Parts: sequence; structure tokens; C-alpha cells
Amino acid sequence: MGHRLRFGALVTSVAQARRAEELGYDLALVRDQPDGDAWTLLSWIAGHTERIGLATAVDAAGWEPAVLGRAAASLDLLSGGRLAVALTGDHVAEVTDIVRGVLDAGEPGPLRYLGERHRVPRAQRGPLPAHRVPVWLTGNDPEDLRRAGRVADGWMADLSRLGAGELATAYKILEDAAVEAGRDGAEIHRILIVGPGLGPDELLALGADTFLVEADDPAPLTSWERLREGSGPPVCRPSSVRAKRRPGIDYEAIPASLAETAVEPGDLDYARVRSTYLRGGSPGVVLRPRTTAEVVDALAFARAHPGVPFALRSAGHGISGRSTNDGGIVLSLAAMNDIEILDPSRRLVRVGPGARWMDVARALAPHGWALSSGDYGGVGVGGLATAGGIGWLAREHGLTIDHLHAVEMVLADGTVVRASSSPDENPDLFWAVRGAGANFGVVTSFEFEVYEVGDVGFAQLVVAADDPAEVLVKWGRAIEEAPRDVSGQLIMGAPRAGQPMVAQLLAVVDHDDPETIIERLQPIAAVAPLYQQQVLLTPYLSVISNAADGGYHQGAGEPVSRSGLIRHLTPEFALAATELLNSGAVHWFQIRTVGGAVADVPADATAYAHRDANFSVAVMGSSARRVDAAWDRLRPYFDGLYLSFETGPDRVGEAFPPATLERLRALKGRYDPDNLFRDNFNIKAATR
Amino acid sequence: MTDYGQDLLFGAFVTPTAAPVHQAVELAVAAEEAGLDLVTFQDHPYLPRFHDTWTLMSYAAARTSRIRLSGNVLSLPLRQPAVLARSHAALDRLTGGRIEMGLGAGAFWDGIEAMGARRLSAGQSVDALGEAIAVIRAVWDATATGPVAVRGTYYQVDGLKRGPAPAHDMSIWVGAYKPRMLRLIGRAADGVLPSLSYLEDGPSAYAGINEHIDAAARDAGRDPARIRRLLNINGTFSQFGRSFLNGPAEQWAEDLAGLTLEHGVSTFILATDDPTAIAEFAGDVAPAVRALVAAERSA
Ligand SMILES: Cc1cc2nc3c(=O)[nH]c(=O)nc-3n(C[C@H](O)[C@H](O)[C@H](O)COP(=O)(O)OP(=O)(O)OC[C@H]3O[C@@H](n4cnc5c(N)ncnc54)[C@H](O)[C@@H]3O)c2cc1C
Repeated sequence: MGHRLRFGALVTSVAQARRAEELGYDLALVRDQPDGDAWTLLSWIAGHTERIGLATAVDAAGWEPAVLGRAAASLDLLSGGRLAVALTGDHVAEVTDIVRGVLDAGEPGPLRYLGERHRVPRAQRGPLPAHRVPVWLTGNDPEDLRRAGRVADGWMADLSRLGAGELATAYKILEDAAVEAGRDGAEIHRILIVGPGLGPDELLALGADTFLVEADDPAPLTSWERLREGSGPPVCRPSSVRAKRRPGIDYEAIPASLAETAVEPGDLDYARVRSTYLRGGSPGVVLRPRTTAEVVDALAFARAHPGVPFALRSAGHGISGRSTNDGGIVLSLAAMNDIEILDPSRRLVRVGPGARWMDVARALAPHGWALSSGDYGGVGVGGLATAGGIGWLAREHGLTIDHLHAVEMVLADGTVVRASSSPDENPDLFWAVRGAGANFGVVTSFEFEVYEVGDVGFAQLVVAADDPAEVLVKWGRAIEEAPRDVSGQLIMGAPRAGQPMVAQLLAVVDHDDPETIIERLQPIAAVAPLYQQQVLLTPYLSVISNAADGGYHQGAGEPVSRSGLIRHLTPEFALAATELLNSGAVHWFQIRTVGGAVADVPADATAYAHRDANFSVAVMGSSARRVDAAWDRLRPYFDGLYLSFETGPDRVGEAFPPATLERLRALKGRYDPDNLFRDNFNIKAATR
Repeated sequence: MTDYGQDLLFGAFVTPTAAPVHQAVELAVAAEEAGLDLVTFQDHPYLPRFHDTWTLMSYAAARTSRIRLSGNVLSLPLRQPAVLARSHAALDRLTGGRIEMGLGAGAFWDGIEAMGARRLSAGQSVDALGEAIAVIRAVWDATATGPVAVRGTYYQVDGLKRGPAPAHDMSIWVGAYKPRMLRLIGRAADGVLPSLSYLEDGPSAYAGINEHIDAAARDAGRDPARIRRLLNINGTFSQFGRSFLNGPAEQWAEDLAGLTLEHGVSTFILATDDPTAIAEFAGDVAPAVRALVAAERSA
């Protein structure tokens, strides 16, 4: 395994580090500071540079090793994954283990380490750094070299302190020790501090992959630069990482365009991408395209693995959409999250599938615009805008897909197409995308026509629900009678011993006049005695900005969710719903409002066809058997379901009315005959 | 009434959260832009949801140019005094004198122990802090002859080279509530840094804090007026005055000016991660407190 050649500069100031960065060096190594603190200077340099790699030698004696692990994670995060650490001092193998143990935040459980010198009873791991921080060791004695061979990611030495023949001997000891420890000797980086005057050939003859130049000031790289070319792959996975690969996936065949960003089970980033909001997963590889062309490459790779599970992911909030898997391929579009205003006069915007709806709201708010999506800002554009989008302004403005103007898609065979209602832009595909998009391809960008939304009234009420059926019926009536500028939802949980039964009633009133807002809310607030109320006049942005920034999904298990669409909340339905709540089988019962503008769109205009419902009902529980036993009693009242809230298999026939399904099956046969796209309400192609 | 006549400083107390990665840095920048004097970060090295505070401070220092920075407060049991001294001095030199040292004897000993450090009793931790301050001052005293030699119970430093000295006369501010620690501050530190939310009797508890510090300072021949009185505060900006630090900016100003004039509190550090609150604190509250205090002091 060859490493890519890298050039670094030894620096003692931020000015030198910046100069090295300008000159194209890969790395700045802060030398030991006789009169200061190398870690502090390195952190300071991190804040003053953008790109250059950062390294320093740390004398472990100055640190509690577990704190050093935390510090390394922090500096790596703050610098955007630019850190390497050379550890020195006594008991350095123990310190290495502890530092790595803290950095390995994806490992389960706390770090427990009982060494001869250092004991860490139970340190929590993390934060997860931005990349796998390499730990280098130093020392030229055989014992030092053997240690480095056993545990280090790299061995660093100063050429001026080694005799001519010693280097080869050192490499030999290093490699033998590595092999003995079950590693690949070639995976250990060799980092040499060299004087400035060496020519390219002399440099190559040293057999190292990283050269750190000792000079008063970094000099131009000139004659060295070309050595980098063809010197090795940018990503070089050590044997410990490759050991975690899954069968059936040809890792070496990952397209070059995706190799650098792909994540394998042994990679540090795996913890960030393996699971979704609601599901735990262990995919064999996660491909992370940044462009449409890379999506094309990714689909070719997926096609070449017909027997391997394949999942498509935008922001990972799928419920019906199983956007992770076990041992399969995941195509993650998270990086394709641009939001761009195309035409301000028409309020036309282009949004990447990986954007989250709160990002969209944030980009639109300065213009006084919004686009109703759902109720949660963390949900992704890709999953929601291919299925429907029942949001805070649904009754007034319809579904999210009702404002979709055009999409760019990559089809199963790798063709890139544009779809819109225009006759020469695949109108039938555009029809299918709006409600069943996940079956037809990867949408790589969405064009929406958004609308003006100012401040809105946002009400959060808690009412008594001693008689849940009565609350349901009255709330349903109040909503149906309300003007369209009112949308909202009702949430109830299973009854709990010793606690009064309550219902949460949430509503958005698209109006900026407080009196109108109160007037609109009165009938809703009147359905039952109020326990709590909060009404805010607030930007739409703040209503939807309800997800955290910066974390990653750590879902576990498999959700059980059921969905039904219903026209009216009749007393009979309400009684059945009360029984369902009393059964204890569901812990979450939620009704969102549809109707209004949603119903203005003809049923055959989009693949989302159940237009005449006024309410979308969804429940969540943990046992499919128990949930279904209770849910089956509600089914007679429903007319169809919203697939985004349904995890049950085989309910395609309820998601789409017969005529819609027939058309979808025909189109599936045309666009995806081999059923590449199958992770979300899979439609079987019509047999021809 | 003990107003020590100290100049007033206003700061922010920012959560060093690791996610989003740069949130704390952005808040430091916001605090600087808003015109605050100081931005400070808590330090809980046993919690992986936070950045390493020292690394964060060094990085945030690089992203700002005027505001002063300090830990609030750094956990001594997980950081070595000589390293604290050197790193603070180094960063102070890099920033042109913008760093102060906030130190704490350690809280949450379960977490400290879990990371591998030794658990100390409350009394032991005060003694350890006293020794640490001696080490730190000795390292900073670059012009003294001979190497650093502190042979304590908790820290033995022998033969350590002195220096570097910080770029400015760096203060050591100590998080403290109890008499023993307060007396140590009177003897050896440059400021006391409690949090309002931990003062059991509310702001008036500051009177007791001052008594202990002042007595110990006088015993040690130090001028109590040179020991800074800081306070971490939290509150809510609202339209109508409801309670202490819950009301409009003018009311905040009166509440805080009262603390200065009555108890000599001269540094107010607002615990918040909300840039709007930082802007309001810096833009509306700070100038009003300064005006109220100046008027009263010159009266
Ligand atoms: C907490 C929460 C609240 C929700 N609230 C609402 C709500 O109020 N209203 C509402 O309508 N929905 C709501 N949903 C459902 C949500 O809209 C869907 O789960 C949606 O699929 C999530 O989109 P995502 O991109 O985050 O999901 P992902 O998990 O990334 O994707 C889900 C599925 O969508 C498909 N898909 C994703 N990206 C693309 C693409 N670019 N091209 C084609 N297909 C793609 C794939 O089949 C994938 O499996 C909610 C979900 C959650 C978890």
C-alpha cells in the first residue's frame, strides 16, 4: 500500500504556518516550544488557517491522557479534520490507547483502561472528531520502533539524528513489529524531518511518505511538488478498518469520484452515517455523492450489486423509507443541500435533496417567503417532497408537492432527466414523483415556487381529555369549520395511571394580526377545559426551527407506525380511537389537518391521490402485532393512507387508489424495470 | 455598602458545546462584535458533549481580536498547574494580553475520577488550589532567580524552568462560595467568580463572600480593592419587570448597578447562548449600568 506523498513545514509561528499554507504545503508541524506551549500555538494556528494539516508533538506528561483525547477531538473538529498528533514521553503506548479510546466515540460503552501507569475508570468517549486523527510515535531505539510498529499510525524521526544506514534498519524493525501485531507494515506512515536542500530523487530514496522541512521560513516546494502526483491514493484504509468490510460488496470497485467520501464500517465517520433518526443500521458502505454526476456513478455501483440491499437517504427521517440497512449500500445525499433563489420575481427556488426543511425556511425567511413542509425542521427535502408534505400551512397552501415546479432526477439506468408538467419534460414522471418519487429515481434537485408568509400565530394548547372521543369530534369540527389560514394537529398519548388524560392541540394561524389569531383559535380552545396555553406571534421560521443543529442520527431498532386518511372525525371513529388509546398499544397518536387547498388539486393530478381527506391520522408503537390488533378497528373509517407515516408492508394498495396504482405500475415498468429503487413503498412493475 | 470602585467589565458565559462545532466560537465573535469585554467558557472535561475548553479558547482567541477570554472556570484536578501557567502565558503573548485565568478547585468529582484523576475532599481541594496558585505564579515569575520549586502535598514541582511570563499582569479568578476558598482568594488570588444561581440567598449572599475575602486579604497585607468581584448571572429579557434580572434592559441595569454599589461586584458575566441576548446585554444593559454607577460614584 503506497501512501500519497505529503510535504510539511516545521513552524514556530502563525506567520510561518500561513506562509506554508500559501505555498501549498500539506502540513504544518509546531515544534516543541521551549518557551511556550505547542498545543496552544497549534490551536491558535488552526484558527488562523483554512486548509493546511496541523500537527505537533505532545509530551503526554503534561496531560491527563483522557483529557488529551478530548482536546485532540476538539482541535480536529474545530479545524475541520486537519489534526495529527505525535505523542512523546513515558508510557506512551498507554497514552496512545487512552487517547484513541476517547477518540473512538463510535465504540459502545465508556472507556475503561487499566494500564501500569495510567488508569481510566470509565471515561465517556468523544466528541467524535472530524476524521480519524493519526497518532504518531517517535524514538529511534529498537524498543521505540517496535512500539510504533505495534500501535502507531505513523513513525516520526529527525533525519539529522539518524545515521545513513539506520533508516533502513528502523523501517525493518517497524515493519516486522507491525506484521507480528497482525498489521500491514506498509500502512504505518513514515514521517521524516529533513533539511531543505534535498533534490526530489534524494527525497524519494528516503522511503518515507511525509517530509517535514526544517527551515527558518518555508520555501517554495517547486521541485518536490510533482512527486505527489500518482504517489498513492488519497484514502488509505489500515488493515483494522478493512477487516470490518462486509461480504458481497466490491469495495475496490467504488467509483473514483466517490472513493474519498465513501464511508465503510471501520471508518470513524461510520458512527455519523450508519443510523437514521428512527432506525439503527449497519450498512456495508455509505456513498456520499456531492454532484449529480457522482449520483450517476453511485447508481452504477448499486446496479452492479443486484443482490445487496440498497437504500436512498436525504436527511434520514424516513419512516416508511428505510434509508439504512444491514450490510448493504446506502446512497446518502446529505451533501447535496444547496438552496438557491432562481427567480425572485416568481419566487422560484432550487433546493438540493439533502437540505433540511429548517434550512430551507432559514434561506427563504429573509425574502419574506416560506414553503409549508411538515411539522419538524430536521426532516429532509428529498424524502418529504417526493411523497407529499403535510405541513403547518397545508390547509391554506396545500401539500409541499403542490408547489413543485420541476425536478432533476437520475433514473435507474443512470440517465439524468428533467421532469415537469411541460409536455417535453417527462410529465408522466413528474406526475409519479409527486407522491411516489422514491420508486422512480434519485431526485437531485427540486424547483419550488414558494409563497409569501409573514409572522404567524403559533398556538400550543393542552386541554383536558377525560373523554377523548368528545375532544376528537369537537376538535375535528372546529378545524373543518375554520378558515383555511388555520392548520394544526392534535396529539394524545396512552392513558397513564394517576395522570389526567390530556390532548395537545397545536395550530398555526397564518395571520399577523393578534386579534384575528385569537378569534381563529377560540373555537379550538373551546373544545375542552384548558390546562396550558401559549400563543406566540412569531416568524414561520421559528415554528419550524425545532430540530437541533450539528448532531448525527443515533436511532435504534425499528419503528412501528400506521397511517390513515379520513374525511371527518365522526363519533364512531372517535370511539374506536379511544379504544385504541386505552389499549396501550400505541404511545403516540397524532392527527394532522389536511383538506382545504390540498383538496383543490384533482385526485389524478399527482400520484398523491387521496385529496378529499381532511385529516391524516398516525400512530406509533413498539410491537407491530399489538399495534395492528388495535389499529385494525380503525381501518374501516379510513380512505387511504399517507405513505410517509406508515411502516407496515404490503399496504401499497391503500397508499394509492386503483387507477393511480395502475398508472404507477406501468411507469415503474418503464423507468425502473429491475426495481433498483425499492426501499420505500415498493411498487411492482406491471408485467408486460 | 462596599463598592471597591473597580472598573466595570461585562462578559458572556458560553456553553462550550461540541455540536454544532463552531457555535461557541461564533458566540465569542458575536460577543466581541456586540462590544462585550470578556467571553468565558465553562470546563467540564468529563463531558464529551463539550469541547476541550482550553483548545476552544485558543481557537476562539484566534478568531477574535479585541475581546478578552478566560475559563469559567478551568477544572484544576484535570489540568496541571505548570501547564496551565505556560499555556495561559503563551496564549496571552499570542493575543497581546487578552487572556485571564479562571480556576476552579473541581466540582463533580465522580466525573473527575472517571477520567483518571484523584478524588479530593473539599478541604483537600482548597489546599491543592493554593499550591497550584503558588506553582503558577512561580512559573510566571520569569525574572526570579533559580528554577521553580514548590514542594506541596498535591503538587511537587522541582527544577522547572521559569517562564514565559504572560504579556500582561494576568489575573487568577477563582470560582468560590465557601469560607476556606474565599480566604484563599483573599490571600493569593486576584478575583472571585461565583454564579448567581448557586448563591443560596440570592445576590445579597455577596456580602458574606466579601467579608471573608476582605478579612483574609487584610491579614495577608493585600488591598481588598484589588481583588476583583465577578459574578455569573442569568436572567430573562422581558417587556415588563417581573423579578431580579427578569424584565426590560433598564431594570437589568438597575439590578446590576445595585450589586456594584452595594457589594462592589464589578464584572457581570451573562450565561447565554443566544446572540440576541448578548447584543441586548452589551448594547443596552452595559452602558446603562456604567452610567448609573458613574453617577453614583461621582455623587
Ligand atoms: C419527526 C418526524 C416528523 C415528521 N413530520 C412530518 C410532517 O409533519 N408532515 C409530513 O408530510 N411528513 C412528516 N414526516 C415524514 C417525513 O416527511 C418522511 O419520513 C420523509 O421521507 C423524510 O425525509 P428525509 O429525506 O429526512 O428521509 P430519508 O430517510 O433520507 O429518506 C426517506 C426515503 O425517502 C426516499 N428519498 C429520500 N431522498 C430521495 C430523493 N432525493 N429522491 C427520491 N427519493 C428519495 C427514499 O425512499 C428514502 O428511503 C415526519 C418524519 C419524522 C421522523
